[in-house]
This record gives sequence, C-alpha cells and structure tokens, in this order.
Amino acid sequence: MVISPIHYIFVPLVAAFAIPLLSKLNKELPRIIPGIVLFYNIIISFVLMQEVNEVGYISEVIAGWRAPIGINLIITPFSGFLVSLISVLGFLIWLYGFRFKKVIDDGELRSYNILQMMMITGAIGIIITGDIFNLFVFLEIVAITAVSLTSFYRGRDGAEAGFKYLLIGGFASAMILLAILILYTQVGTLNMAEIAERMHTVPTEIKSTILILFIVGFGIEAELFPLNGWAPDAYSQAPGPTSTAFAGIVVKAGVYGLIRIIFTLFDIEGAYDFLIIAGLITMIIAEAAALKQTNLKRMLAYSSIGQMGLALIAFGIGTKEAVFAAMFLLLNHAIIKSLLFMTGSILMYNSKEKTISSLHGIAKRLPFISILFAIGAFAIVGLPPFSGFWSKLYILSAAADKEMIFLIVTILAVSVIEIIYYFRVVSKLYFAEGTTNVEVYKPKINAKISMLILGIAIFVIGFYPDLVTGYLHNAADILLDKASYIQYVLNTDSTIQ
Amino acid sequence: MKQVFIIILLIIIGYFLANTFVEIPFGGNRIGNVESNETVAGYYLSNTAKKTGVANVITAIVVNYRGLDTLGEVTVLFLATTGLASILYRRKEEEEDTERLNLPSSRIMRSGVRVLFPAIVLLGIYVFIHGHLTPGGGFQGGTIVATGFLLMLISYKGFNTDHNRMVWIESLAGLSFVGIGIWGLLSGNTFLENTTNIGVVNSLISGGLIPIIYIVVGFKVAVELTGILDILLKIKPKK
Amino acid sequence: MQEQFNEIFIKYHEIITIGVYGTAIALMLIGLYAILMKKNLVKIVIGLTILDAGIHLLFVGIGYIQNGTAPIFSPGYENSADRMVDPVPQALVLTAIIIGFAVTAVALSLVIRLYKHHNTAKIDQIKHLKW
Repeated sequence: MVISPIHYIFVPLVAAFAIPLLSKLNKELPRIIPGIVLFYNIIISFVLMQEVNEVGYISEVIAGWRAPIGINLIITPFSGFLVSLISVLGFLIWLYGFRFKKVIDDGELRSYNILQMMMITGAIGIIITGDIFNLFVFLEIVAITAVSLTSFYRGRDGAEAGFKYLLIGGFASAMILLAILILYTQVGTLNMAEIAERMHTVPTEIKSTILILFIVGFGIEAELFPLNGWAPDAYSQAPGPTSTAFAGIVVKAGVYGLIRIIFTLFDIEGAYDFLIIAGLITMIIAEAAALKQTNLKRMLAYSSIGQMGLALIAFGIGTKEAVFAAMFLLLNHAIIKSLLFMTGSILMYNSKEKTISSLHGIAKRLPFISILFAIGAFAIVGLPPFSGFWSKLYILSAAADKEMIFLIVTILAVSVIEIIYYFRVVSKLYFAEGTTNVEVYKPKINAKISMLILGIAIFVIGFYPDLVTGYLHNAADILLDKASYIQYVLNTDSTIQ
Repeated sequence: MKQVFIIILLIIIGYFLANTFVEIPFGGNRIGNVESNETVAGYYLSNTAKKTGVANVITAIVVNYRGLDTLGEVTVLFLATTGLASILYRRKEEEEDTERLNLPSSRIMRSGVRVLFPAIVLLGIYVFIHGHLTPGGGFQGGTIVATGFLLMLISYKGFNTDHNRMVWIESLAGLSFVGIGIWGLLSGNTFLENTTNIGVVNSLISGGLIPIIYIVVGFKVAVELTGILDILLKIKPKK
Repeated sequence: MQEQFNEIFIKYHEIITIGVYGTAIALMLIGLYAILMKKNLVKIVIGLTILDAGIHLLFVGIGYIQNGTAPIFSPGYENSADRMVDPVPQALVLTAIIIGFAVTAVALSLVIRLYKHHNTAKIDQIKHLKW
C-alpha cells in the first residue's frame, strides 16, 4: 500500500472507532493511541512532502472515480506544508497533554482523546480536500469536536462558551451551504478545480453574493471581525491542550479555506482589497481588546485573532512576496502561539480566577515555564533574533513594495500595543512580589519536552530563516498559479502521481 | 427598538436572496444534455446503471461517487454522540441518581407501541437493505428504526437499551465502513472503490459493495440515534 | 396525468416558483429571527433548525427539472435517464440533514447543562462571559 493523502483521514478514523472497544481491554489505551496516530501523521507528512517537492502536486482519486465525477484529495506545496506543520504540532500537543489533567474519569478520557484527535483530523481534511462539499463536511467535523471540547470542564462557563460557538458556527455552516447551493446551480459541479475553470461564466451579481456568503461562513472559523465573538470565550474555557490546538491548528484551517476560495475559485479584483480592509479592522480591534484583558488566555486569544488579521492583510496585498510573507507568518504564529498557550495554561492551572495578576512572581517557582513564555512573547511581538521578527519584516517590506504607507504605520503601531500587553505579563512573572504558599502546577517531563522543542524551533528559525524561506517562496508561487492547479486535477486519470 | 432593526435587516436579506433566486428558474434544466457529460449530474444519470449496477442514482452518488462525504457524515454522527456523552457526562456516583424522565404515557400508547415497535424496526431494516433499489437507504432506514426505539423509550420507563451491545455495534459498523475503504486500497485500487461484481440491475444482489456499505451505515445510524435519545432522556429529574 | 400537471405548471409557473422559493426563504428568515430575537435557549435552537430546514428545502427545490421523474431506474423506467430530476442536490441534502441533526443534538445537550447550572433557560441571565 502506497502512502497517500487518504492516510491522513482513515488512520485516525480507524483509531477513533476502535477506541471505545479497545478501552475495555486497557484503560490507558485512549491516552496512547492518538499519540501513535499523530506520530504516523508526521511520517506520512515526511513522505508526501518529498513527493510534492519533486512533482508539484499530488492528487488522489477516491472511490475510483476521477475528479470531477468523484471526490479528490489534493496536496499543493502550500497545503502540504500546512498539513505537515499541523501534524507536528498535533503530535507535540498530544505529548504536552498526556496526563495534563491530574484526575480524570475513564469515560471522560475516552471522549477527550477521540474528540481532540478528530478535531485535528478534520482540520487536515479541510486543507487537503479538492471538493467543496467535502470541505463543508470536514468543517462540520471540526465544529462539533471543537464545541464539545470547549464545554469539557464542568465547573466553569464552558457550556456557555460552547453554546455561543455552536450557534455562530451553525449560522456559518448555513451560510456556506447556501453558497454551495447557489454555486452549484451556476456551474453544475462541486469540484474546486472545475469550479475555478467555469467561474467566468457566472454573472457578476451572483458571483458577489456567493463570495459574500463564503466570506461570512469561513470568516467565522478564521476569526474575522465581527464574526469572532465566540473565540475569546472558547479559547479561555477550553482545556489547555485544546486551546493550543484552536490557536495553532483550527484557525489555520479556517484561514486556508478562505484563502483557497478567494485565490483559486474566484477572480474578483475587489476580493483582495476586501482582505486587506477586513484584516486591518480585525487586527486593530483585536489588539486593542487584548490590551484590556485581565484573563491571560483571553488576552492570548485576542492576540491570535490580531495575528490572523495581519496574515489576511498580507494575503490581500497579493504579490508573491506578500503571499510568501503571509505563509511565513502562519508558520511562525502556529509555533509561537502554541508555545504561549502551552506555557500559559500551565501558569494559569491553579489560579481560580485565571487573571494575570495572580501570576505575580511565579517565575521563581516555575523558571523553565516562565522563560519559555517570555521567549514566546518576545518572538510574537517581532523582536530579533526570534522567528517572529522575520515574518513581520517580510510583511512590512511587501507592503513597502506596493507603497502602502498606511499599512506600515498601522502594523508598527499595533506592534507597540502588543509589546505593552505582553511585557506586562512578563514583568508580572518576574518582577512582582511572589507569594510562596500558592499551589503551583509542576508539569511533567513530556510537557516540558514539547515546549522545549517549540522554543528551540523559534530560535532555529530565527537564526536560520533560509531553512524555510526557499520552500515557502515556491509554495507562494504555486498558490498564485491557478491554471496549473486546474490542469493537474482535471487531466490526471490515475490515482496518485 | 431592536426588534424593528432586526426585522428591517431580515427584509433586506430576504430581498437579496429573492433577487438571487429570480436568476435561478425553478424547473429549469440545468443538467444539460444527459449524454454530453457537461455536468456531473448528467454523467451520473446516464452512467450509473451500467457502471455500478445500482438502480437508485442517489444511493450510488451517496455511497460510491461521493463516498468520502458519507464517511465524513458517519463520523460527524459518531462525534456528536461522543460529544453528547462528554457534555452530559455523569460520574459513577451520580449515575445512580439519574433516571429517565417520567413522561406520561397512556394505556393506548403502551399497548399500541408494543405492536408497532417490531413493525417499525422491520420497516426500517427493509428500507436500508433496499436502499439501492427504492428510495431510501442507510440513513433513512436507521432513522426509522431509531423512531421505533424512541417510542419504546417514551412509553416504558423500564425499557433499557443494552449500552454495551450498542457500543459494539457502533464501533464494528464504523470499522467495517472504513475497512471496506481500506480493502480498496489494499487490492491495488483507490480508497472505497467498488471492486466486486456488479450483478444485475434491479435485483436485490446488485451493486457490489454498495448495499453492504449502506446496510452497515443503517445499523450504525440506528444505534447512534438511539444512543443519543437515550442520553437525552436520562437526565436527573429536579427534586 | 403527467400532461395535465405539465399544463398547470406552465400556466402558473410564477406562482409555483414563488411558492417553493418563497417558502424556503421565509423559513430561513423565520429561523434567523428566532435566533436573534428569542430569549429562551430552546427556542433559539429551534430557530437554528428552522434555518437549516429552509436551506434544505431550497436545495431540493433547485434540483427540480420540469417534467422530471425520480432518479431511480425502477423496472419500466430503465431508459428514462433524460427525464430525471437532478440527483446531486438530493444526495447533498441527505448529508446536510444528518449534519444539522448532529448539531441540534449537541446544542440541546448544552442547553440541558446550562439549565442545570444556572437554573434558568433565558439567555440574558446566562451572560457570564463578557468582554
């Protein structure tokens, strides 16, 4: 059996269906199986990335019917890179989350692991599918798992956050369904490559309507303003490993869906300007809100939303340099934000109200965690020599190329705001008066290894950005090359190239 | 005030939608010439009977052409059941305190349900076994079976579904579905490909793997929906 | 029978169109109204269901082709491939209905938990999480 993209889907599925049975044999199995699956994901990513590097595209036919009659899975350099990143992050999050909660019931353990693993699988599915209705189905997988995980803890306001998320998410799905409906009547197909080919036959008014519906639908998952009201609640109420997965994995899938639709399916000029404006508004409002927060995880959530706004601005600028910079930002943000959420969740574990002020002086008791949090904070605001510096630099230079002075000024101003609220936390960690009798959550070695790996990655990319820039430049070129995508999907007859 | 604002907003949205749908004539022929393969629908209609041996084109689409969607959907149901169980999870101590809601059921209902229950389940099983010949299929049949169970759950407080057995059926059915897909991969073809003999159209044994997949799905859906109903009905009555 | 229906269809085409599309759009708007305006959690969930129902109805509606018959090759209809309605929206809506059901199930379980926790089902009394 050759390794192909479908492995990303069916291996976790087999595990998910088998866990209820296997857990009868051994109570610890639900903890271990996702680790094996997610590690296998890393192996497949390795193999597939080699292939995509040589060939350019991998398109796999499902059920023996070539696209557009059947569904196909497709890996491009951009999606391949994202999925590999998600696989690695998924495994690290599992490693971090192994025995995260001290006391947990068997049934809860089973549900938690199944849901967490399938959420990651759903995100991967969104990215590798080549069919727009299939995209909707995977989006629903992500929505349902994410809502259930948000409401996992019993005591806090998880149920409220989950309900809000579900409501807004349900509305988003309805919008996307409506868009697919109208699109189908116009082009007669559901395959993304064929839709891209036939898009020019659709009358402009209808095109705009469909685009608006898609933007509303995906914007909710990609946390665009004003559709991101659910995010701060969900991020702060979910368990630590889950919020990390939200920030590092789920939101990337939402952004990818939005970008794939705008770049490949549509050809409207105004869409790019819209991305810039929407990204700008999102970033400004989110970062301003982050300033006011007293709850650490909410602050991190708003910061995440702001960074995604920045990524959308970069995608909206549309040049090869800008798209490359946006991809670089996604890579860095995934690593850095995951680290911040991991360390943040540990710092907050024993605090009742989860406020920043409860962190005073903890650096002395948890030096390892605090230094990693500080590294993450420095990296995300863009200080050299950390990785975040490069992505911000490239975005600013792409904006300068197109002489968008307003953008440069705004991004710099927002960076200053970021510095203020992150340094506030770091100073509380290190320089405030500490209390010695507060209970502190000491993480185990597996969590420490995960966080250390992420921290090292931040340093390595910071010092040697060329490790990834070449690859990402290629990915950016291919994203903008719509014609070859269409040609590759529709003209291949065999299964895997 | 808010109400007025929202009503105006809805009227605007309704106006835009109506405008869009004026362009989409009802009953207009959008699949073109069926033989020419311009649209996927045309291809499905002209080729299903020959290539898959299945009489119900929609079943062929759902199970074969777009089988990955159905797999995803079965997964969604499974995850919803898991999510439900995790949201309404009760620790062992609380498990004894909860009992099913005491819903009033009359004598007529109870005696009627005793007769109807086997008939409904039989109808459901019939629907999903014949999914490739008549309208219906796994999802529809499974839902019918679950409706039968719902009637029993409402009428008889003592009626208990065997939780253990349901978990077994659910997991085995799910594994079979993915297993059929993997079988496609192992035999050198693509995932979920219909690799067995197609048989004669319109007979019960036709369509290769398609009716088998649908039967598996039917069982899974029936068990899952019953499980969901069971969980939702078993909430602690307010003291 | 078929010809009579066809005559009626052509004559009253506009009315039937408004009937089908109009009902679907009306359902969507009613569902939206319920989600936005109602205070009771259960009614909000019902609103989401109604919104979904409207969209599903729309799906089936756009699949209809004039004079078309069901896309099943029953005995006697083996060669009527060119007179069948569009099967794709029906297949899609099958999936969409199940997904809508799953979402409703999860939503209702959350409502149950919220009710147990706060002892009320009114949304304005459950707004703990603010800016």
